[in-house]
Amino acid sequence: MPAVVNLPPLSAYLVVSAILFTIGVLGVIIRRNPLIVFMSIELMLNAVNLSFLAFSRFLDSADGQMFVFVVLTVAAAEVVVGLAIIVTIFRTRRNIDVDEMNMLRG
Amino acid sequence: MQNFGLWMLLPPLLGFIILGLLGKVFSRAVIQTVAWAACGISFLAAGLNFLVMLGTAPDQRVSDVVHYTWMASGLASEFKVDFGILYDPLTAVMMLVITGVGLLIHIYSAGYMKDDPGFWRFFAYLNFFIFSMALLVLANNFLFLLVGWGLVGLASFLLIGFWYQRPAPVAAARKAFVINIIGDFGLMIALFLIFSNFGSLQYQEVFSHTAKLAAGSTTAIVICLLLFVACAAKSAQLPLYMWLPDAMEGPTPVSALIHAATMVTAGVYLVARTHVLFELAPTALLVVGIIGGLTALFAATIALVQLDIKRVLAYSTISQLGYMFMAESVHNYGAGIFHLMTHAFFKALLFLGAGAVIIALAHEQDMRKMGGLWKRMPITAWTFLIATLAISGVPPFAGFWSKDEILSTLFAQAMSTGNAVYYVLWGLALLTAALTAFYMFRLFFIVFTGTYRGEQAVVRRHEEEEEEEEEPGHHATPVPYYEIREVPGVMSTPLVLLGILSVVGGLIGMPFWSPFGQFLEPIFHGVEAPHLSGGMEWVSVILSLVAAAIGFGAAWSIYRKGYAYREKRNPFYQLLFNKYYVDELLDAILVKPILALGRGLTTALENFTLEGVSRGIAGVFRGTSSGLRTLQTGYMRNYAFIILVGVVLIILYYVVMRG
Amino acid sequence: MTPDIANMLAFGVLALASIASAIGVIAFKNAVHSALSLILTLFFVAMFYLQLGAMFIAVVQILIYAGAIMVLFLFVVTMLSPDTQEMEKNRLSWQRYAGILLGIVLVGALSYLIYSQVSSGSIMQTQHESLQQVVQKQGDIQAFGLALFHGFAFPFEVTSLLIVVAIIGALVFGRRSS
Repeated sequence: MPAVVNLPPLSAYLVVSAILFTIGVLGVIIRRNPLIVFMSIELMLNAVNLSFLAFSRFLDSADGQMFVFVVLTVAAAEVVVGLAIIVTIFRTRRNIDVDEMNMLRG
Repeated sequence: MQNFGLWMLLPPLLGFIILGLLGKVFSRAVIQTVAWAACGISFLAAGLNFLVMLGTAPDQRVSDVVHYTWMASGLASEFKVDFGILYDPLTAVMMLVITGVGLLIHIYSAGYMKDDPGFWRFFAYLNFFIFSMALLVLANNFLFLLVGWGLVGLASFLLIGFWYQRPAPVAAARKAFVINIIGDFGLMIALFLIFSNFGSLQYQEVFSHTAKLAAGSTTAIVICLLLFVACAAKSAQLPLYMWLPDAMEGPTPVSALIHAATMVTAGVYLVARTHVLFELAPTALLVVGIIGGLTALFAATIALVQLDIKRVLAYSTISQLGYMFMAESVHNYGAGIFHLMTHAFFKALLFLGAGAVIIALAHEQDMRKMGGLWKRMPITAWTFLIATLAISGVPPFAGFWSKDEILSTLFAQAMSTGNAVYYVLWGLALLTAALTAFYMFRLFFIVFTGTYRGEQAVVRRHEEEEEEEEEPGHHATPVPYYEIREVPGVMSTPLVLLGILSVVGGLIGMPFWSPFGQFLEPIFHGVEAPHLSGGMEWVSVILSLVAAAIGFGAAWSIYRKGYAYREKRNPFYQLLFNKYYVDELLDAILVKPILALGRGLTTALENFTLEGVSRGIAGVFRGTSSGLRTLQTGYMRNYAFIILVGVVLIILYYVVMRG
Repeated sequence: MTPDIANMLAFGVLALASIASAIGVIAFKNAVHSALSLILTLFFVAMFYLQLGAMFIAVVQILIYAGAIMVLFLFVVTMLSPDTQEMEKNRLSWQRYAGILLGIVLVGALSYLIYSQVSSGSIMQTQHESLQQVVQKQGDIQAFGLALFHGFAFPFEVTSLLIVVAIIGALVFGRRSS
């Protein structure tokens, strides 16, 4: 392992990232408000960013930071479109309970 | 020696093809010409070949020509079948009979079928039949014999069911075919056995290597019995005779040609052709004789009381075929073939005469409605009388000589072997001869003498509506007496010609001068046919004449004064009239159970298995899909949950594997 | 080398804080509270990034993520908020408990794997030039810039295309329905 200046071990960062990710997943599953679901998704993305950066630091490579850059951009674009969709749905249905959007049932 | 086999074989085939494809658009005259020409060329070829044969020395009268190899399989061509034509004296006789009688019937049919819309079809089938029968007889190996065998069965089916728009002919054709298949099966198994024992299916190969099969061995007996199964089916012997009376549903010329003169004689021909094998299995010959004898008597008893003119003749045919087999069973194959030939003449004549009567009475076949036709149809009546005399064994007509030879040969065998069975057979034959004379003259008297009963039916029909179901014929309105006319020349000429043949045809086979026997001698030279010495010969002749006289006398006394039908209640009569209830018996024992089995299997297989399986499979899919459908809840959160479950499972897998 | 106390303390505090605010995101009934909680989480995670030496990313996170994206979220939340209380009964209440259970399992499994893999030193070394050396030579941001425009120029251009697409999407959605 290359010289890392007294930082906590890599596994610590990864565990934190895992915990944040899991919290995000729980948010998607448990909450019914689509805005909160979206926020949970953002949370998941952030957890992943964290682990990318941790690896970048500990593996001494810039690739991780590049990934995070792209992920950030994608998250931004995604938020734009996603919120637009939610607003549109609200306009037509006056109700944004995720459970009400079940027209794809088989 | 030259072999005109192809000239005998191919013209009828060509005629069939032409008429089959184009006959519908031809005019009647063209159809007639094509058919007559096809059969005529065949007959000319047969006649010419016969003359050529007469001109060659007796020991060179065999011509075995291979035209091409049909199949050769096996590394060293172990199984080799050629299409070849064998022309020897036996073939010569058969071909003359087939094409000669065939040609006369072709001519007759032009008159008989002239109002039928299926005119072209009839002649196409008729030509096809001549071709098939010729193939059967001309083949030089067993395989093509089998092919011909099957094809004549097909021709018979097509012709019996010619008027397919009615249910009765269709059922009869089916019955004939089904029973024939049993025979075909026996023939095939016999062929397998022959091949496995002799290594070849060529007649030459098989008949010259008889050492390969031990005399009296079980194999030989089995082969011969299987061959005889085929003969029994084709020649309507017990227990496979039931199809022949039903086959009378076909047009009368068909009955004359196929079910009297030629096809049914294929069995007799087969035994004669394979006599070398039968000589190796005396037990089989005994069986042949016993069945022949029993059949002869059995059929004759039924014929005593039948009311349909064609049915009487059908049973008579069965009976006479029994005679031929009895002759062959005592090693006198020549006598069997001789009777085959004379029988062809007079039986064809009888059927054609019956056909003439039927036509004159507008398709009436019930003898109760006939009578007194002698004055109105002289030609028919005279020729019919000649034929009746011939079949009853009255000298000097043809039937006497052939039947007498059979009786005497049976008697000779009985005396020389002392075997009681042969005495019984001879007794059966003699008894049957008396019965034959009786029922044939009964037929003659009822139909031609007395007063015409057709008009009474006209009156009676208005009174009663009841009509028995088995009343045969198309029964249109009965023809008044003064309108009955003799048939036209195209039909009466063959009658006359056959009449002449019935008179003189037997003279070539008399005991003291038999060019016929000498002609066939090279074929049967290894076989010793039993013959009576001069004195016993006279005894036999006198006995057969006595039998005929008894039959004639009985018929004369009962029926001479005209005929009034009274339904007899006595059970013996009923038994005979209903043909010993054989058909009903078979229906109950065989037909109904098989149909029930079929229905049961259909239910089991189709409803249960097929439907069950297919519905089951469909049901499985429906079930799974409806089960799986519950996953498609439409709730996004459910889907996310499932994804989570999946992810967890994968990670757990890694934990378990790598940890 | 043993990590020193300051770093460990910083890490511990940040970890607890970020986890707590993340739980807040999913736990608050009020969506506005959830959004604010998420902003906090983003902030703490940015601190993490700083500790890991990714200066540029940390700043970008605060500026863009917490600054722009979350503000957008708040706009929408406040616009929709009066109607977004979860008033109807939950049809999938069982998922809550199952989800929590699975969550715990997931965390446990991941932690286990992380510890067993990472501690055993089975992580590969990368082949690229050492980042630290570049950082020491030229500084963090320069290192980031060099890496971006030397190795990742193409993805960079593609992301701009992605942004265009998102803009078009937003415009389409934003139109009054015709």
